Amino acid sequence: MQREMERTGKVVVEKVGGKSTVTRCFSKYPLKFIVPSKVGPCKIDSVWIYSLTYGGGIVSGDSISCEFEIGDGCTTVFTTQASTKVYKSVGSKCSAQFLEVTVGSNALLAILPDPVTCFSTARYSQKQVFRVLLDSNLVIVDWFTSGRHESGEKWDFDLYKSTNNIFLDDNQPLFLDTVLLEQQSISPINERMRDYQVIAMIILLGPKLKHIQIEVQENVKRMMSEQLHMPFSGINGRAQSNSRHFTKPPFLASCSVFGPKGIGVIVRVAAMTTESVYKFLQHQLAGMEPLIGVLPYH
Amino acid sequence: MESKKEIDGAKEETASMSSSLQWSQWQLIDSILPTGGFAHSFGIEAAIQSRVILNPEDFQTYVIHVLENTGSLLLPYVCSAAMCPDLDNWRKLDRMLDATLTNEVSRKASVSQGSALMRVAAAVFTEIPSLKTMREMSLGSDIAAFHHAPVFGIVCGLLGMDSETSQRAYMFITLRDAFSAATRLNLVGPLGAAVLQHQVSIAAETMLKRWMNREVEDACQTAPLLDTLQGCHGYLFSRLFSS
Repeated sequence: MQREMERTGKVVVEKVGGKSTVTRCFSKYPLKFIVPSKVGPCKIDSVWIYSLTYGGGIVSGDSISCEFEIGDGCTTVFTTQASTKVYKSVGSKCSAQFLEVTVGSNALLAILPDPVTCFSTARYSQKQVFRVLLDSNLVIVDWFTSGRHESGEKWDFDLYKSTNNIFLDDNQPLFLDTVLLEQQSISPINERMRDYQVIAMIILLGPKLKHIQIEVQENVKRMMSEQLHMPFSGINGRAQSNSRHFTKPPFLASCSVFGPKGIGVIVRVAAMTTESVYKFLQHQLAGMEPLIGVLPYH
Repeated sequence: MESKKEIDGAKEETASMSSSLQWSQWQLIDSILPTGGFAHSFGIEAAIQSRVILNPEDFQTYVIHVLENTGSLLLPYVCSAAMCPDLDNWRKLDRMLDATLTNEVSRKASVSQGSALMRVAAAVFTEIPSLKTMREMSLGSDIAAFHHAPVFGIVCGLLGMDSETSQRAYMFITLRDAFSAATRLNLVGPLGAAVLQHQVSIAAETMLKRWMNREVEDACQTAPLLDTLQGCHGYLFSRLFSS
């Protein structure tokens, strides 16, 4: 897919005079990059790149392909201004986004977008490929909602596919993940999701993120241990169907370690509200402020 | 021009090979083979403790999603290993699956079952010496994790099972272990489980046809909620299963 796609955007970040600097920035319709001259306090070296799509969303058949090069020692944050809306598919066309990134030695790239929201009948596919070194640092948030769920559109899109692949040098696979949700499968998507409206994944990789990795794992373990127990009826033994002991936790999360010597941590989330995931991201990623200069998701 | 005697002889040999293959196939998928499948619940125990599964109907829905995810994520590995059961391909598949099973709980379960299956198969199917040599060459250092799906495919392939049957067998043992877990967790009784398993097998065959014979580069997960739940297994205060 990626080879056939025309390049829609490219950003190169390098150290110039000791500071992370965007030395190349190209974007064309339907994509636009905005690089503010400074985000955050001067003493924190970081570059922020905002991505926008003309029309505020991704239209059926749109195809976006980007390349980032993050040079040694640089810190870069890539984010959106609003949730990425994927509009309904016209003529069964699929919209696609492809991102290819190389991250240098001791560099940090944080991808902190708002969630993808696919409208009814939308067809959307995205692929992100990262080539890193053992001392590169990555924070990747990849999340999507069930649609305009406040308006009742829940898991009504036709296709959602998201791939995140991370390779060490020599093309050694470190992390390979693809989520695929298709309406035309053994059961409709909403049946698989059981009242959860948001799915999120957070990847924390690299030595600069060690303290955040440890904290997140502890936080999630503590939070979930309180939520998990055998369903049981009230004190008098009678089953009360509306008793909270039978209801699902509105927020589920689990952490796993991955990679050699556990250099990576992945957090998976399923939640009933978008708001609760924003709060979770704010809380868990707060430790990044000294690295990127600003509290993420505030 | 072959004589009738030669043709009959060849047919007889094929029939006897096919019969002996059936004995091996049935032993491979029998739950009595000591591969430790009984220790894993596919996230069912975590699903019960998070009240996602409250009754047998919830369980039936859940098991179908487990089967679909097995099809989309793991059948490509079984298929490739069965069609090409050599050391190089096995190591490549094992490394790729290690990077793909990002869920620590399911990754450890896969390694535990795969190691056990390789050890058992090497000991049992002595007519296939390459099982023993492949195993011995990969023990010890970090060369191989011994993930379950590729090992299962290798064993099937070396036994002479065709690729489709190997993939169907993998779906079968997943179904078998999920129902065994449900019975031990008191979700269903043994007879109820057997009735339900037969009903679900129709959906299992549909899913096999949908997901079989795909490339490992196309492996994907189709049940993110399950993945999240299974990852919670380590947070359960009291548990019966390892995963």
